[in-house]
Amino acid sequence: MNNGKYALTYLLLLLAQICIANYCNFSWYLYLSFLPVMVFLVPIRHNSVIAMLLAFASGFAVDFLSDGVIGLNMLALVPVAMMRRGIVSLVYGGEFFARQENISMSRHGVVKMIFSIILSQAVFLAIYILADSAGTRPMWFNLTRFGISMVAGCLISLVVANILEPEKIGR
Amino acid sequence: MAKERRLLTFSISAVTFILLEVAALAMLNRSGDLQHMWIARTGYRFRTAAWSSSETVRNYFMLHGANEELAAENMVLNEELLRLRHQLRVNKADSASVPVPVSNGFRNIPAMVCKISRNSQHNYIILDKGSEDGVVPQSGIVTANGVVGIIDAVDRHFSYGISFMNTNMSVSARIGGEGAVGPLSWDGAGSRGAVLKQIPLQYHYSPGDTIWTSGHSQLYPADIPLGIAGDSKVVNGSVNEISVQLFEDFRSLRYVTIVCSEYAEEIDYLENLEENHE
Repeated sequence: MNNGKYALTYLLLLLAQICIANYCNFSWYLYLSFLPVMVFLVPIRHNSVIAMLLAFASGFAVDFLSDGVIGLNMLALVPVAMMRRGIVSLVYGGEFFARQENISMSRHGVVKMIFSIILSQAVFLAIYILADSAGTRPMWFNLTRFGISMVAGCLISLVVANILEPEKIGR
Repeated sequence: MAKERRLLTFSISAVTFILLEVAALAMLNRSGDLQHMWIARTGYRFRTAAWSSSETVRNYFMLHGANEELAAENMVLNEELLRLRHQLRVNKADSASVPVPVSNGFRNIPAMVCKISRNSQHNYIILDKGSEDGVVPQSGIVTANGVVGIIDAVDRHFSYGISFMNTNMSVSARIGGEGAVGPLSWDGAGSRGAVLKQIPLQYHYSPGDTIWTSGHSQLYPADIPLGIAGDSKVVNGSVNEISVQLFEDFRSLRYVTIVCSEYAEEIDYLENLEENHE
């Protein structure tokens, strides 16, 4: 049951991301995405391969169902899934996996969650912006876009992290 | 067991990651024009860098052959230079004579340095040419930058020489084109310092004059540049001793030319004849 609820929540959030990608194009300098936190919060019991496949499928869905170039989100999201274990070890400690504990903002604190979101957003945005500009935009533009998207992305990701918390969904 | 399992898990994750990223790049390449150009450009850059690196490595391994070719070519040019210098001296001595090509009396054999010592007062050199290549004892070892030594013993494929950086060795040298002649020997201190001895006081020279081989021995052809004259000092009130900065850098010596006198036997015969008369 928990799995079903989690999958439904995940799908609804994915749909929300597709809507944002289609209808919320506020500025060239802003790319609003909470996909990295969705991939980061995939339950710990699922290994990196499953997380990567899920990231690939999520990226494909967003790319295919929005006006973007197919491949951009997939390219940027798979490395987040690959680095997920590393980020968890760095922020929450190595014994986290041994306990098979899920990441919880209420239990582990907001600060750690913000730090995790910043790291996963940074990986995602760096690859996304680099591939999107394809060497045609100046560095200052890319850096400005990175900064603005990072701030906005982190704020919305905090909300998503609160919704997607596995333990909260299970209750 | 746990370690192997971790390694297997990591390998599977890495392969999955690469496959998914390649798939994403392939889709990106097909769907975006800018991205297509960007990926193509990155690919070209990578290929150019790879080709350039492989070419650099290939060239490095071909350097040995190229060096040998250059050494052989250098030897031919040196031979020609010495022959022309010799001819010039002959013509200058007798301006009425008809210029004819004459040999300087030396046969040249290119060789590579196998080993050279530089840290003692009695340094030696081993070359990769021996009796099968026509090397005979008492042949000179030279380069375009000066005298390196003298062959002392010859094996079938190698020869052993006494380096110029040896306190027992001296070379007959001349200051400038027509200057005084004296023995030049290593100063025993640095790798590029030498001393030209027994220069009579009445001979004047200027610091900066070139020192050449005199050609007065059967070991070395005349007119090989040896170094630059420096300061001098009077010894015993009768002769000058001139310090010389050598052209030859023994630290980077790799290729040399062995010069064998073609008239060595005739000269030895005459010397023996003279000794027998005495």
